[in-house]
Amino acid sequence: MTEIWQGLIRAVQLLVSFDAEVVEIAARTLRIAGTSSLLAAIISLPLGTLIHFRQFRGKGALINIVQTLYFLPTVIVGLFVFVLLSRAGPLGELGILFTPQAMVVGQMVLITPIMLGMTISALSGVRKELLETATSLGASGSQLGLLVLREARYAVLAALLLGFGRALSELGVAMMVGGNIDGYTRMMTGAIWLATQRGDLELALALGIILLFLALVISIVLNRLQQRRPQ
Amino acid sequence: MSRPPSMIRITALTHRYGDREVLKGLDLSISRGETFALIGPTGAGKTTLLRIIDLLEMPSSGEICFDDRPVPGSGKQRLQMRRRMSLIHQKPQLFDSSVYDNVACGLRWRGNKETETVRKVGSILETVGLDRYEGRDARTLSGGEAQRVALARALVLEPEVLLLDEPTANLDPVSTSRIERLIRSIARQRSTTMIMATHDMSQGQYLADRIGVLIDGRLVQTGNSTEVFRSPRSEEVAGFVGMENIIEGKVVASAEGIATVKTGSDPDGTTIQAVSDQPVGREVHACVRPEDITLAPATHRSSARNSFRGTVTGVASSGPLSRVEVDCGFALVALVTRLSTEELGLEEGAAVVADFKATAVHVIERSAHR
Amino acid sequence: MKTRVIVLAVIAIAVIVSVIATPRVPALKIATTSSLYDTGLWAHLEPLFEEQHGVKLHVFRVGTGIALDHGKRGDVDAVVIHDRTREEEFVAGGYGVERVPFAYNYFMIVGPEDDPAGIAGLKPEDAFRKLLEDGAQDPDRIVFISRGDDSGTHAKEKAIWQAAGFAYHEVQESSWSKARDGYVKAARGMGPTLLMANEKGAYTLTDNGTFLAYKGNLELVPIVETGAMLLNEYSVIAVNPDRHPGTNAEMAGNLVEFLTSPDIQDIIGSYGVDEYGVPLFSPCAGAEPGE
Repeated sequence: MTEIWQGLIRAVQLLVSFDAEVVEIAARTLRIAGTSSLLAAIISLPLGTLIHFRQFRGKGALINIVQTLYFLPTVIVGLFVFVLLSRAGPLGELGILFTPQAMVVGQMVLITPIMLGMTISALSGVRKELLETATSLGASGSQLGLLVLREARYAVLAALLLGFGRALSELGVAMMVGGNIDGYTRMMTGAIWLATQRGDLELALALGIILLFLALVISIVLNRLQQRRPQ
Repeated sequence: MSRPPSMIRITALTHRYGDREVLKGLDLSISRGETFALIGPTGAGKTTLLRIIDLLEMPSSGEICFDDRPVPGSGKQRLQMRRRMSLIHQKPQLFDSSVYDNVACGLRWRGNKETETVRKVGSILETVGLDRYEGRDARTLSGGEAQRVALARALVLEPEVLLLDEPTANLDPVSTSRIERLIRSIARQRSTTMIMATHDMSQGQYLADRIGVLIDGRLVQTGNSTEVFRSPRSEEVAGFVGMENIIEGKVVASAEGIATVKTGSDPDGTTIQAVSDQPVGREVHACVRPEDITLAPATHRSSARNSFRGTVTGVASSGPLSRVEVDCGFALVALVTRLSTEELGLEEGAAVVADFKATAVHVIERSAHR
Repeated sequence: MKTRVIVLAVIAIAVIVSVIATPRVPALKIATTSSLYDTGLWAHLEPLFEEQHGVKLHVFRVGTGIALDHGKRGDVDAVVIHDRTREEEFVAGGYGVERVPFAYNYFMIVGPEDDPAGIAGLKPEDAFRKLLEDGAQDPDRIVFISRGDDSGTHAKEKAIWQAAGFAYHEVQESSWSKARDGYVKAARGMGPTLLMANEKGAYTLTDNGTFLAYKGNLELVPIVETGAMLLNEYSVIAVNPDRHPGTNAEMAGNLVEFLTSPDIQDIIGSYGVDEYGVPLFSPCAGAEPGE
């Protein structure tokens, strides 16, 4: 119990003093997880919309597979991307293992299924009649896609946030693909892991609390943006 | 006189959902600027027909020409044709945004300049009586307001063809008459081609130049309102347009345009005189509107060609009127004012005389398959 | 509405670019054992090397087993570890250029102060034999926490069992190991293993560097500290560039030179004095200690 209190106090101290190292790690975490999430969203939103509207053979099976991938353990993704990018692996010549770019690749593999699957579910919540109305008002295919995303925006935002949250809190990819290199690929989770390994439970808890605090700020900001209506 | 060019022409249109045939070989041509009402009971296929005309659905077979050009199966041309039409649903489907954005969306999709959009949206909202509603969240509107927004959203596009699917089915009487007036004024001002589906005959009668009766996937009769309402072509149409008294019989005499129809199968059955040139021996239905029947006390001596003594078997209120059921060898329903109901002492068991003119009787040949 | 979308898009693009375009600075990648990393020695040496050679030093904290695997795959440029047998195999297999020992210290058997098995003063292999024999009789009181991972420390423990006359599987299959407590595998790093042994009042094998670094949090004391078996030797091996052309062989060579240079040897030899009063490592540039 005392560790938790001390962790809380330490967290507040680190936050208030803007501890340079913590700020740097937090900023790097947001940049890397943010990039993976944005790129995954750029893939998932149009692809999800396309899958939602198109009827094709194996659509149900495809959605099942995507949903199964929600449960991918981060370590497995880390291992998979590691083997792929390792010098001895098929993409070894890129030489990007243990770089932030490689972490982005790994995190995208991890979170794209979540964003994609949840986007498809979100869109299926929009009434068919509404889309037909839009068609009859002269919406083209792509305009219809934008409309359906807009109509389902709360659920779509939730899908993106969930993916971002997973990227922010995962450890497997950060460790195996990033290497947890101080000052280069260390994310909040990697720092927490290291502090735990070194027996500094207080620091580990403090960093954990800061990570949650970051997540809180992000979700508040996004919800604010969402609720403000034009005009 | 040359016919005005056809805006929409449908040839041999058939549509199936699975095994169920919902439209069965329709032919229909609608001229530019015409207001056409499609009436028929629920489930007759009106909505499906409108959806096919709006190019939302591909018919199973048959051809549609829009502005004298055949509609392609897909592609840009289809979108461009669709953009010259607007469909208003029975239940208004508003987007989850402001009233302004709802009305503006069609213009934006067509790539209009925003300044022009602002002007057009403002003016159409004024037309439908919703100015100052621009910033309102569309999902907080009442049913009548929502339908006006839906109407504004369609009208702001200045469509050449406006399709209305039961636009007032879910509205209260005040909102209904407001929407009806709007549609009427638009039809007059803009010479928009309009096709509206309704199950409300009086609405069709009030708004349309021409009426088509769709029953069970077949267009059984088209014509102006007098034709359809006065001279339904079949028993089904007669029933649907409010000819509640449909009496089976056979023409036993015919002279100078007056046919004598003997009712029922019994040889001494009552006869009805009707203006009709159906030949002797034909099996027919004699149809009479309830409002064309007058009731009088049993002592009354009538000059009407058709006058029957009978007993009241039931009285029910219907708005300001009473529906009175009378048995005079065959069943008749009459509509009388509530005042006369009281004066005549119409109640179950009362003896009355039911009168109607020969011109009030419409005789239809009994269809063979029935 | 429009401006908001534009602002968000600009921020999004900036974030993506900041990561995608992160310059891939030339870096020397080394994989090292957790016991070395956790003493803080690398944090101490890293800036010195970076300054001297104008290159980033990326240090991976992994076990000896994973470090060797990274080396075999060419994912790091050098490994810095402590398991002589496997190091020699690694070089013999053509994966590494040369095994260069640069520092050493001693492993020690630590345990509760009352020493329930009475192993103080014994040679390490005798101590282990006694632990196993007595532990089988009284597994509740005589508990040993093994690293149980693939680390250098675990390899050392196995070697001591071997010297004590037991194959490792015999230890694992003993009744001591099968008891609820007794012989326990932690499967974690040195620090957490020490903390676990502390909680359970157990013995464990540790390097003295990590033990000193954790001493403040522990009630455990050194029980057996002497014996040739306990030598813990750290070596640096550059990964063979012939096998993996992408590796930074030149810089790896620089690292070997750096670690064995007299200045750095002095720094290694005095590291830890400020904090613990005694040095954590003894330098041994190029030479095998104790030979």
